[in-house]
Amino acid sequence: MSIVQKAAKILFVSVHLILLSGCWDRTEVNDLALIVGLGIDQKKDGKIMLTAELIVPQAVGGGGQMMGGGGGSGVSGQTVVRSGTGTTVADAISNLQEKLSRRVFWGHTKVVVFGEKAAKAGIRQHLDFLSRNPQIRLRSNVLVSKGTAKSVLELLPPIEQSSAEVLRELSESQLLLRVTIKEAMQMLSSDADVAALPMVKILPPEKGKKDLQTIAFIQRTAIFKKDKMIGDIDDKLTRGVLWLRNEIKRANVTVTLKGEKGNITATLIRAHTEFIPKYEKGKWKMIVKVTAEDDIILNGTKLDLLNPKYTKMIEKELENETNKRIRAALKTVQKEMKADIFDFADIFHRKYPREWNQVKNRWEQIFPTVEVIVETKAYVRRPGVNTAPQGLPEQEVKQ
Amino acid sequence: MDVVFRPFKIGGKTKAALIYIDGLANIEEIDASVLIPLMKENNAKENENTDQLIPVYHILEQKLTVSKVEKVQTITACIEHISDGNPVLLIDQQSEGFALGLSNWEKRSIEEPTGESVIRGPREGFTESLGTNLSLLRRKIRSPQLKMKSMKIGEYTQTEVVISYIEGIVDQALIREVESRLNRIKVDGILETSYIEEFIEDNPYSPFPQVLDTERPDIVVASLLEGRVAILQDGTPFALIVPVSFYSLLQSSEDYYQRFLISTVIRWLRYIFLLISLLLPSLYVAILTFHQEMIPTTLLISIAASREMIPFPALVEALLMEVVFEALREAGLRLPKQAGAAVSIVGALVIGQAAVQAGLASSPLIMVVALTGIASFTIPRYTTGIALRMLRFPMILLAGTLGLLGIMLGLLMILTHMATLRSFGVPYLSPMAPMQVREMKDVLIRAPWWKLNTRPRLTRTDNIQRQGSDQKPDPDYGNDKTSKGKGGS
Repeated sequence: MSIVQKAAKILFVSVHLILLSGCWDRTEVNDLALIVGLGIDQKKDGKIMLTAELIVPQAVGGGGQMMGGGGGSGVSGQTVVRSGTGTTVADAISNLQEKLSRRVFWGHTKVVVFGEKAAKAGIRQHLDFLSRNPQIRLRSNVLVSKGTAKSVLELLPPIEQSSAEVLRELSESQLLLRVTIKEAMQMLSSDADVAALPMVKILPPEKGKKDLQTIAFIQRTAIFKKDKMIGDIDDKLTRGVLWLRNEIKRANVTVTLKGEKGNITATLIRAHTEFIPKYEKGKWKMIVKVTAEDDIILNGTKLDLLNPKYTKMIEKELENETNKRIRAALKTVQKEMKADIFDFADIFHRKYPREWNQVKNRWEQIFPTVEVIVETKAYVRRPGVNTAPQGLPEQEVKQ
Repeated sequence: MDVVFRPFKIGGKTKAALIYIDGLANIEEIDASVLIPLMKENNAKENENTDQLIPVYHILEQKLTVSKVEKVQTITACIEHISDGNPVLLIDQQSEGFALGLSNWEKRSIEEPTGESVIRGPREGFTESLGTNLSLLRRKIRSPQLKMKSMKIGEYTQTEVVISYIEGIVDQALIREVESRLNRIKVDGILETSYIEEFIEDNPYSPFPQVLDTERPDIVVASLLEGRVAILQDGTPFALIVPVSFYSLLQSSEDYYQRFLISTVIRWLRYIFLLISLLLPSLYVAILTFHQEMIPTTLLISIAASREMIPFPALVEALLMEVVFEALREAGLRLPKQAGAAVSIVGALVIGQAAVQAGLASSPLIMVVALTGIASFTIPRYTTGIALRMLRFPMILLAGTLGLLGIMLGLLMILTHMATLRSFGVPYLSPMAPMQVREMKDVLIRAPWWKLNTRPRLTRTDNIQRQGSDQKPDPDYGNDKTSKGKGGS
């Protein structure tokens, strides 16, 4: 057999081998329903209602012209919201698929929103489904909505393309809490067995705008025990929680100095929180060391900030203010809700494994009794591009 | 009848004949240096021993004012010389004839090679005349070590082929191998060096060229200096260079004429665009049909939006437009120059706008096709670029059936194939595989000339030192370090 015949035979076989395996999972983009946001609600009869926000590509690009907006509920120029119901999320998806001409595709799902009711009923089984599905990304953001998830997703944001995109951008700004599917599951499976998820609220539309032309924004934090939501805290307390979770990224702190008129606002550049667990004579103690580095962005006083005496004073005030915020968060979350969302359990477990094992079954009772000592340290790094207070005659400035 | 028999009498007595082919011989020279001196003979010595035959050596030494004269004894040799253009002088009752080096035929003048133009660098290119080409090489290498070995290939065409190399640099075993491969060729005729190329390649079934062809004397000279062998042929401006590796096929002569930093960047640009020209359309197909989650949402949405009205699957769409592009490229090459402009206008309109507006192709795909086309032309060797361009069609099919897995499969197959290739015993992917770290100076980067001290190690050769070391220009060399600057060799 000549080499040509041999090569021809091998080629023949290999071409058919490729074609045999074929294009069995081939899908064109035009046959996909690109789901960007997913909402999970619980109805009164206990059934799950799944809401999907999907992009209508025809309306987006092409010639750049928008298709005529607003027919029935949830129809905008660019996104469509559809719902399906079922006993579980998986059931609801098959129900949803019946109402869609294109195959659902979860690969670009950016946010998962739990309705308040669904959150109170328990989110573990939903998270299990989300993590089991190969298409859904574990990096998607998880949120809880005040009211139903559907009402959040069907909004028509004036700036972004979809309400899911709004929620993703807001999550990633990390002003308040940001939690992905992976982090949510990690929190629930940690020693503390509690979780904290960002909570969104619908911004009331401006006057003259239609009811749906608005966005939902992250305003609160929902606290979960086991996998059930037990309550929520507002944005101020959430910042205190962020300090305690070593997650604070952006914060402005405004202080007043004793004997001085006017405010001074500092903005955070870097923050770090260190936890030192202590177990002494059957008593659990946690020392929280907070270090913050700030820039001054506003000076309403007459002080010249180049003088280290004044910056020292400002630093002192900043420390007090931060300490106050953290204490407030501790009071609500530790003493009232008794939910260990700071994951102290894990920290104790690591340092005192034997002692912790003895109390791990009644950690819920022990956690509120943990003595927390908050030590804050603040540094003013820069006074901004101006040193002296602006708009003041030179003689009035206090050197 | 182009063969001319010109009988005449030397000194009015001895019969002689001049045979030449009209158009190949220099007639003015024949008249001035052969016919006039020989026929005028009789006036001067008419009275002396008139009956005697004029001895041959006498004619040769005193009468023929031609510098290149060769004695021929056989008819075959005569025919050979005549077909080469050299007139043959036969004299009555003499067993020897004279082949006179008075050939002169129409040839193209030396022009800039259009296929391999450079911004900076010599602008001369080979012509169809072997003599001219050899002289171009001699002009650049004045050393007697530059050797030319001549042979004839083609039973009917009797085409002259010259193996050129520099003795002392080249590996003698390589010369023997080239000669033996050339000697094996038994054909009617060869019209272009590509005939030779196909006969002497190591793997004739590969899409990749294993021999470098060039029109530029400077490339040939640089290769000779690296210890390679050049094969030149009469009748074509293209010379072959062996052995080559894949990386030398990706280099342009200008890499060495430009500043080395810029050459390095351009080399990397070429490597990146090489991958683009091979992979971009298949990546487009694979991602759009199998892996929609792999690109940013916004990009996917805008591609989906532009594909909304396209009737074909991405695979068919891509194949269609790539075939159209290849057809346009081919048509642009073959069409007469006057029609070329029309083709480019039609091409731009058809491919660029009409296809999108007619809903046959989406605009992102047009971008992919255009980028692929541009990418393949960043490879300076046309033959290498076209190999990669043709390989992208099987890659698109693989991507359309198996997705990214198929692309990986195809890439592995291509890489494995390239790793098995050899060019005259030199591994095709060397110096990358097998890895020779020292040779990276001319592959990953283009090291400055004062660092390129050794020749690339192609075959077993002792003479690897190219130049003296420590030649980095330095203002200190003028003062205390003079000895360091000069020494080194």
